[in-house]
Amino acid sequence: MQVFHDAATQVQCQSIMDWKQSGRPVVGYTCSYTPGEIFHAADILPVRLRGIETDGMEVGDTYFGPFICSFPKCILQLAGKGKFSFLDGAIITPGCDGMRRLDECWRKAGEDFKGIVPDYFYYFDVPHKSEDHGMSWYMDEINALIEGVERHFQVNITMDKISAAICEFNKGRRLLAEIEDLRAKDDVVVSGTDVFAATVAGTVMPREEYTEALTAWVAELKKQITSLSRGKKRVLLIGSVSDEIDLFQLIEDTGKAIIVGENLCFGIRYEGCEIPETGDPLSALASHYLGSSVCPRMYGKYKERLQLLKDRINHSKAEGVIMQNIRFCDLHGAENALFKRDLEAMGIPCLRVEREYGPHIDAGRMKLRINAFLERIDARKNPQRRRA
Amino acid sequence: MRPEIREYNYDWLMGSTLKAAAAVPSGSKKETEQTYRYIPNYRKVAETFYSAGEPGVLALKLLATYFQNILTAHDRGKPIAATTFCNSPVLLYAMDVVPATFEILTALGGVLWKRGMFDYMDYCCEIGMTETSCSSQRGAMGAVMSGLFESIDFVVCDTPGVCDTNANAFAFVSEYLNKPFFQLNYPSSIGDDRSQNYHVDDYKAMIRFIETQTGKKLDYDRLAEALTEVDRQDALIADLEDMLLLKPMPIPPLFNLALYCGRFCFSGHPEYTRLLESLVRSARQRVSDGVPGLTSGKENLRVFMCYIDHYTVDMNFYNYLEERGIALTGSILTRNFRDNNKYTEDMPGSSYGINLSSPEAMLDTVAQMNARLPMVRSIRGPYDRPGMWLEESLALAKITQADCVIYNGTPGCRNTWGMVKPFARDMERHGYPTHIMYDDAFDDRVESWPGTRERLDEFFHIRGLL
Repeated sequence: MQVFHDAATQVQCQSIMDWKQSGRPVVGYTCSYTPGEIFHAADILPVRLRGIETDGMEVGDTYFGPFICSFPKCILQLAGKGKFSFLDGAIITPGCDGMRRLDECWRKAGEDFKGIVPDYFYYFDVPHKSEDHGMSWYMDEINALIEGVERHFQVNITMDKISAAICEFNKGRRLLAEIEDLRAKDDVVVSGTDVFAATVAGTVMPREEYTEALTAWVAELKKQITSLSRGKKRVLLIGSVSDEIDLFQLIEDTGKAIIVGENLCFGIRYEGCEIPETGDPLSALASHYLGSSVCPRMYGKYKERLQLLKDRINHSKAEGVIMQNIRFCDLHGAENALFKRDLEAMGIPCLRVEREYGPHIDAGRMKLRINAFLERIDARKNPQRRRA
Repeated sequence: MRPEIREYNYDWLMGSTLKAAAAVPSGSKKETEQTYRYIPNYRKVAETFYSAGEPGVLALKLLATYFQNILTAHDRGKPIAATTFCNSPVLLYAMDVVPATFEILTALGGVLWKRGMFDYMDYCCEIGMTETSCSSQRGAMGAVMSGLFESIDFVVCDTPGVCDTNANAFAFVSEYLNKPFFQLNYPSSIGDDRSQNYHVDDYKAMIRFIETQTGKKLDYDRLAEALTEVDRQDALIADLEDMLLLKPMPIPPLFNLALYCGRFCFSGHPEYTRLLESLVRSARQRVSDGVPGLTSGKENLRVFMCYIDHYTVDMNFYNYLEERGIALTGSILTRNFRDNNKYTEDMPGSSYGINLSSPEAMLDTVAQMNARLPMVRSIRGPYDRPGMWLEESLALAKITQADCVIYNGTPGCRNTWGMVKPFARDMERHGYPTHIMYDDAFDDRVESWPGTRERLDEFFHIRGLL
């Protein structure tokens, strides 16, 4: 478990540094629409870029305007401080307006902070729809990405290698799905914090190493019998991008709740779904990464996302949903309002909370609201306590 | 929402006001003066429009008609589509659909109404929309979602990938009111074959969606008529755009607003052609008289608004420019990027042409035209790529001989606030003093108009411009 926590809480974690020391390249990417399998097939380590460990915002605030979410700002801050010096390449995706502007801000910051822009800096243009022409555009983008990676890194990415990469990634996905089943039991033997750490670790660790560690951990979990969920509220955490273990800890450290599932960009939402291992591997990647996307940037698909949320609530037997959004993240902020309206109407208590990403400067306020929410669930379950 | 706001529907209130305002100048000068006594809250706005002469009155009439169309749509058996300013209404009109363009509806309430659109904006937040979302949609949206507007029948937007907050607002309305939704989607590039083909495919999907909603097939004869009118309008716009290059400039600041507001409301409609003809006539008269567009008669400075204007109450922004003798060389909203404009020559792939030779050609025309509307054209990709915001702003600032560049938007505008600082730095490097306004073009509560005015004065003074 420690290896996952190390990978999830340190930008320059040991796994990345070991890989780097072996002389192989590392490419960072900003969004879940980037197929990591392509890089794995080229013996390049794909690392999802994160903004943890920031202790200031002077670089982020210099290039981004004031009304921008703190997640891309934190990434830029780390880039400006040289924390991503291990990167040989970076892929920027128009996941949302803030994230896509990381392209310009990072490049422009590179004019002032020499050497912070990796040699291979690529804009991966992901459409906002998965219908025929959207899918076709995305396929073209994948092909262009492959060509670009081959040319820059002098590698040969064959379809066989991509298929093998899909199989390797799927091993991890199956294991994460097994963990989801464990979390769905009445007696949950694993904390949400640990599961999330393991999931986030999967976005930065070399895949074979990750699969091996995850296999061992799942086997260990299956032997566990001590329930961590007795007397605690089962909650689901959803909303804006988060890779912050602290946020999970904040909720579980109340001692009154256990996170039994999440619907987050870094979470099992994507990592827990398998990709077909037969047929055209590129079509399979496109169908998975674009076609099954449940991000609110895919406008007009609210009902599908609501259904997915309901399924997750049912599967995990969640008693309440905590909906967070980073300030200025309107996509999740507005959608959380609709989720709350619809889920509360079904009798599922929901908490909407706006926050900042990164250092938890408002941890006290968050804790207060989470505690109040957990009491609300409690009062709902035990009406006589509410009357008292 | 305050109870008194619920007394009248926003569209009825604004439509009636504009209808009455447009009729006032039909009387004698004395009657007009008498009317002012009864409309103290509207006097400044009315005077601004009336003093512009025929174009001002025609602009008021056009806006009044826009509201009347919405108010009578359902009685006439026409559906209402909630849409955005960067989605051309040409196709909607050709398919017998009445557009309700949120940003226009919000801006009009802002400039015409003392109380602004604040209550409607806040209503959106009351029901869960984020307060950080764009005010340009939130005003009209609040009226629509609170039931103080004709009910909309479906939603069509075209900003995913260009402006998330815009697209997100329309998606929210659609879900909140349970109305069908369609999004046009633009890639980050423009002008190349791949992007052009994507525009057409997506546009065809939009037509299928509207056909499903209306139960009617697209009538290509009607579309041809509308595009013929657009062709006529583009020629008039080109004349006006040419005159924006003259020094001193014969175009009053208010004409800019009339030009783009008319286009967003009535592109392809004779109503807009009449307004344009009047704007051109009036400007030409000034050229032949050797009189600048500014009423002061002296052009002290030429300003290019690289994004949008300021829609504060009483037309204060436009009046401020008049007072200071500042000629407005346009904003991102002014230009249409038709292929007959000189500024498009240096930007390959930036323009569209009109071809009515076949249904396919017409679809291509309207798709490419739509893709070149403000914001979706040049803010879709990284700002320093060819054909994008920096190149466009530099080309326009240069050709119009602007002395400085001003950015004005809204805090909700994530797509520009994400890079306006490096953009401004690049503009400065090219020799243009560039000012970033931290106000909200639609919401004076973010920064009061006196505060904004002071900051503008400060910029002009410190940079030695005025």
